[in-house]
Amino acid sequence: MTYSEVENVTGYIGNFKVTIRKKARYVDEKECNACGDCVKVCPSCTPDEYQMGFSTRKGIYIPFPQAVPSSYLIDMKTCLGNNPIACAKCQEVCEKKCIDFDAKDEVVTVDVGAIIVAVGNDVYDPTELDEYGYRSYENVITSMEFERLICAGGPTEGHFIRPSDRTRPKSIGFIQCVGSRSKKRGNPYCSNICCMNTIKDTVLLKDHYPDTDVKVFYMDIRAFGKGFEDLYMKSKDEGVHYVRGLPGEVEENPETGNLIVTVENTTTGKIEKHELELLVLSVGLLPRKDSDVVRQLLTLSRTSDGFLMESHPKLKPVDAPTRGVFLAGCAEAPKDVKDSVTQASAAAARANVILASDKLTVEAITAHIDPDLCKYCGLCVKVCPYKAITPTDRKKKIAPQVIEAACAGCGTCGAECPFDSISMRHFTDAQIYAQIDAILDTNSQDKVVVFACNWCSYAGGDFAGISRLQYPVSNRLIRTMCSGRVKDEFVLYAFRKGAPVVLVSGCHFADCHYIDANRQTQLRVEKLWDKLEKNGIRPERLQLEWISAAEGQKFAVVMKAVEELRQKVTAEEIEHTKEVLAPKPKKKPVEEAASSA
Amino acid sequence: MAQEADFKCLRCGNSFRAPYSPETEPQERACPNCKSNSVRRVKEQKEAPGKK
Ligand code: SF4
Ligand SMILES: [Zn+2]
Repeated sequence: MTYSEVENVTGYIGNFKVTIRKKARYVDEKECNACGDCVKVCPSCTPDEYQMGFSTRKGIYIPFPQAVPSSYLIDMKTCLGNNPIACAKCQEVCEKKCIDFDAKDEVVTVDVGAIIVAVGNDVYDPTELDEYGYRSYENVITSMEFERLICAGGPTEGHFIRPSDRTRPKSIGFIQCVGSRSKKRGNPYCSNICCMNTIKDTVLLKDHYPDTDVKVFYMDIRAFGKGFEDLYMKSKDEGVHYVRGLPGEVEENPETGNLIVTVENTTTGKIEKHELELLVLSVGLLPRKDSDVVRQLLTLSRTSDGFLMESHPKLKPVDAPTRGVFLAGCAEAPKDVKDSVTQASAAAARANVILASDKLTVEAITAHIDPDLCKYCGLCVKVCPYKAITPTDRKKKIAPQVIEAACAGCGTCGAECPFDSISMRHFTDAQIYAQIDAILDTNSQDKVVVFACNWCSYAGGDFAGISRLQYPVSNRLIRTMCSGRVKDEFVLYAFRKGAPVVLVSGCHFADCHYIDANRQTQLRVEKLWDKLEKNGIRPERLQLEWISAAEGQKFAVVMKAVEELRQKVTAEEIEHTKEVLAPKPKKKPVEEAASSA
Repeated sequence: MAQEADFKCLRCGNSFRAPYSPETEPQERACPNCKSNSVRRVKEQKEAPGKK
């Protein structure tokens, strides 16, 4: 389905329901044979987005030559209007009678078992970098615009010309890392494709026009893929001049339209000036702005660079954190065609595993809600990162239910439920209290209770162990799948049982294996700090640490630090804590009191 | 300019200012001194009613 937008997604792995708006094309795509008669008579005209505005298109058009289906559509913003019909010239000439000005958007719902997110990327707009004069000087273009100008299917049919005077430029410069690898402007990350794209462009230029003087201004060239270094060498052998240094200023000679580029060549340490007839800004890639809708619908998260986060960077690089959803291409990170095809193939194969199975096996670690204990507060629905809990209705007394196929077992709902109506299979409250008891039943003053999440901090402890790092024996670990499972009551219970120090540890925010469940952990710990302080207990006695599986060293350092804190906690403090946190005796219900009287 | 708030490290006691905006909370923070994540925002004291 092309020319369509996803409007809603409900359901879970194997059973998604996707609502899609098929935008009105005003041309019957099945009947249209793309003869083009309509285009000849259409009087309206607008810059062609696909040709980066270097040429125009009509109101009735095919967005790009390879578009599927190969049939025309009418862009109503450009068309002279269908309400009332203002021109209808296309309708008059269309022999197959495919044009219908009354066509409406169609909303369809499809059932799917798996979803692949391949929303692509946006491209950096270099207007803010005034030193390069994009938008001020006609002959400064972006690498995307270059692609159109050199392409045989482009506005000049591959006859390479510069915009100002439509002549072939004899000297061309490329500036690398425009909008990439900068903490001040643009983005801090490397856009991955720009070095090789420029190298490919220089080879193309030299192939077509060997007499062109081509210069590349760069910080460093990243040519690490198969055959990439060879292409770089080929470019150099063909006489492309690589200047190590990014230009600080670009000026235009108003008479010739040529550009004077000032650059510090960091290899020679000298300031150089280069006169060029055309300058190409090798712009970086950005996460697609409008992908946020899809992200929210599928409860996906983003990494700090804004691209969609994979379930695990090494072990599940194609899976999204939401089960049954997979990522392909630049939706996940900037990548070239080859990597995009590789990831897309992997995503298709992963999706096929789901589609080929009659039954799906899910983890046994899921939440279970006891409807008899539920008071319909709806907190669990709010905090579940996977939207795995059906909505509650207080008025109708409908308790929420856990969709087991969608539940990932983080335990956040169980930790948040104020009425103890949610139990986590394999990590029940009773099991965790029993572990706290076992730790603190004897010599509690010598122990630190450490809650560690399965994927990161517990694994960090393992790594510290296999790295033979020393850390104090006073730390006793309780493993939960996610730090989001650590209920405030677990911490208070440990203090009540005489724990001098409690540590809650989990994954760094960007690494949470349950989308963002550990954010609930932090909020809970912050509330606990307030509560402890209010009760005259030093909040320092509750520690919070984010430790990744690779941070064995940090794990050992943290364990030493909490042991030092433990040694400073006095016996009086522990006794005082036990007293103030002791459960208050419950007031007897009136009837009970009456009957006992 | 980005909003800032006062924070206190609950491991080493270091006090520092760091970017803070209620809309983007919670955020992962680390003490610039000891790198601990036990970083607590120092909430402004509420003015007693009637006091200027
Ligand atoms: S355990 Fe986590 S994923 Fe499962 S229902 Fe509860 S909050 Fe949602
Ligand atoms: Zn500190």
